[in-house]
Amino acid sequence: MKRVSLFTICFAIFIACWVFLRFVIGSVISVPIPSSVISMYMGLVLIAILVHVSVEDSRFREFIRPIHETLVDENRKNRRIILAVLIPLLLLGYTYTNIAQKANPAGDPRVAHPVPPSEFKLTYKDKVIGTMQEVENPHRHLEKDKPEEFKSHVENGRRVYYDNCFYCHGDHLDGQGHFAHGLIPLPANFQDPGIIPNFQEAFFFWRISKGGPGLPPAGTPWNSAMPVWEEVLTEDEIWDVILFLSQYTGHSYRTFGEGH
Amino acid sequence: MRSKNVVYLILILGLLSVLNLTYAQDAPEVSEKGKEVYEESCAHCHGTEGRGDGSAAENLLPKPRDFTRGLYKIRSTESGQLPTDQDLFDIITEGMPGSSMPGWETSLSANDRWEVVAYIKTFYDGFKESETPPRQISLEGKIPYSEESVEIGKGLYTQFACFECHGQVGRGDGTSAPTLQDEWGFQSWPANLAQGWNFRGGNDIDDIYKRFIGGIAGSAMPMFEDPAFGLTIEQSIRYNELDNKVEMTEAEEEEYNQLDEKMGNAFEILDLMAEGSANEEQKQSYATAMKAFYEKSWHLANYVKSLSSEKRPEPAIGKNVLRSQYTESDLPQMMDAAWNTLDSSYFPLVGQIIIEPRQFNPTIDSVNAKSFYNDTEVAFLFTWDDRTNNTEVEENEDTGKTFEDAIAIQFPVKIPKGPTAEKPYFLWGGRKAVYLWQWKASAVDKITELTAKGINNAEEQEVQGNIEAKGEYTDGQYRLWVKRTLKTDDKKDLQLEPGVFVPIAFSAWDGANGDVGTKRVISSWYSFVLEPVPSSRRFIYPPLVALLSFGLLVGLREFVRQRNT
Repeated sequence: MKRVSLFTICFAIFIACWVFLRFVIGSVISVPIPSSVISMYMGLVLIAILVHVSVEDSRFREFIRPIHETLVDENRKNRRIILAVLIPLLLLGYTYTNIAQKANPAGDPRVAHPVPPSEFKLTYKDKVIGTMQEVENPHRHLEKDKPEEFKSHVENGRRVYYDNCFYCHGDHLDGQGHFAHGLIPLPANFQDPGIIPNFQEAFFFWRISKGGPGLPPAGTPWNSAMPVWEEVLTEDEIWDVILFLSQYTGHSYRTFGEGH
Repeated sequence: MRSKNVVYLILILGLLSVLNLTYAQDAPEVSEKGKEVYEESCAHCHGTEGRGDGSAAENLLPKPRDFTRGLYKIRSTESGQLPTDQDLFDIITEGMPGSSMPGWETSLSANDRWEVVAYIKTFYDGFKESETPPRQISLEGKIPYSEESVEIGKGLYTQFACFECHGQVGRGDGTSAPTLQDEWGFQSWPANLAQGWNFRGGNDIDDIYKRFIGGIAGSAMPMFEDPAFGLTIEQSIRYNELDNKVEMTEAEEEEYNQLDEKMGNAFEILDLMAEGSANEEQKQSYATAMKAFYEKSWHLANYVKSLSSEKRPEPAIGKNVLRSQYTESDLPQMMDAAWNTLDSSYFPLVGQIIIEPRQFNPTIDSVNAKSFYNDTEVAFLFTWDDRTNNTEVEENEDTGKTFEDAIAIQFPVKIPKGPTAEKPYFLWGGRKAVYLWQWKASAVDKITELTAKGINNAEEQEVQGNIEAKGEYTDGQYRLWVKRTLKTDDKKDLQLEPGVFVPIAFSAWDGANGDVGTKRVISSWYSFVLEPVPSSRRFIYPPLVALLSFGLLVGLREFVRQRNT
């Protein structure tokens, strides 16, 4: 059996790495890896191969032997001609597609949940409620103290939600309401375990009461369709709908003291 | 070993799902669980008593179903029949496109959905009283989709007067469209057949067929009737032909009368069948007439299917962005065929529910746009479907108060540099101003330039010019052509140059739907670009690269050879 040359092995590894990055990983995480990242990794693979083959003199000679043969050996004439045509053609195609490509608009580098400044004052209209760190949901304590009363606040939150929010945030609180298809950015998905558990109730109060226009520039306030709800809802209604969001999804809001 | 188990599991699950499809299931006995799930997930729209009067119902159209009347729109059963349990389960599972009813597959287990089916049936006694299961629509004799079938269906569409509600080409713009009401007295807009993705019961051919045969109970399309009942398709077409003739020859008149008589007989037999007093021969001729009716319905279903794309088009983002095509010559006029060479960009519109007064029940689905530009000017063609042509404010007994149809196309005054730069607020600007083109249905040749810094803070520009427009309403669709110079002297205008992505957004008003002022449909920011003329570099660099690489290879070979010797 003929031994596979070192060059062929290296070449096969190189191609396998590319296929793995381009197709396998992409289909596992269901988002293709950006081509710039692939190029970076392939650069590393190339360097690793070159380091490997150049550690020993004999290994390097073995590595370049097939290249050497292809270039000058009389027996390799056919292969030489094929490669001399194929390589320039591939490069021609590659350059052409790159130049003729249509430009697409850049995506919005939006911060979906921008952090408010640390000394941030939480307000309802012009009334100061307190700082972001200290304000708690005034109805939260009822959960332990008066469960029946707590339940009526959650029920009120449910009413508020379905009268106002579900058009965009959806019946399932998953951000897929019947208006969501027309909005960029998409409405928040409260079922996403990365949303409610990462923020305090005060943060939600701020996002609901001040809406899109209240966002800092990193949140692209000019694109958000979130209304300024303090113009429509009472302070209590906002706190109630916040209770409802966690009650429905089963997610708990972040509180200070735990895992900072 | 493990992978083998997985394969078995998949096979079993597959088999189960097939069984589930073929054998329609029945709902379990009513339980507390069903009530609990209903009150948790359904009652806010459908009401705790099932009357379709939950607190959210007020702002919804179509209204949430009132379960106390036993009228269900989407069924697999014949006209006048109750739905099967499986029908109710399917609607809960899949939801109803174009309405606010979502599918519940992700948030309720199959078991919970069955419990809910059992529970909602308790709201209507008819379910308990009916002893025989509802008669299901048979899909036997389905006529496969083909160009010929679509053509026949098109003829039947006219003959059956579908256009009276659905319009000549199916955009839901029939003359009676604005006056239609459902059983509960709510507005019942006929479906826009060109937007199949909004069909409540799905837009498969089988779905459409079932809507014909079963009717859409409670709506303005309760049952589909064949005006040429008893005639075969050929006879129907012939009858229609003769019916439209101004003068008939004697032979034709005789033929016409014969067909007329045949129809009359068929309708008589229909009555006898209803009474249950038809004899064998009459039953036979009834069966023949029904067969022809089913055939006609399949052709019609195929025609309706042909009017729309399968899914909602992809919105104009990423690679689908609106690209204005460069042309060296004059820009095409409104009706020029040149427009047909371009693909449309689709901009979905939704109700404006941010600022009062709000629009919760939009009737305009989207705007489509195409564009050409040359060295000095840019032209756009905007189209959008609207069931009615409202050119003024009107007060009418049948339709209530209606307003004027309009559209506004929005750009920033200054193009933000780079994606992180601040844009004006997408809803008619705010701190930063937007530049608008407003067109109204009352003055089709006029377009007004506005500057706005908020939805209630727009004013006409003092300098109007460099822009012209032409609009038209045909068959349920507005077509608006706008042309402007790329550059203007007015500082409040947008200045255009090739290769720059420009934010674009829309507001539209359907006067028949009460749209006026802030009550309207809106879009988010999208973008368009005057697509740069493909650079001639693409013919220079690639061959250069190829030549160079060839040269390098030859050089390398020479170098190695030299070294060897």
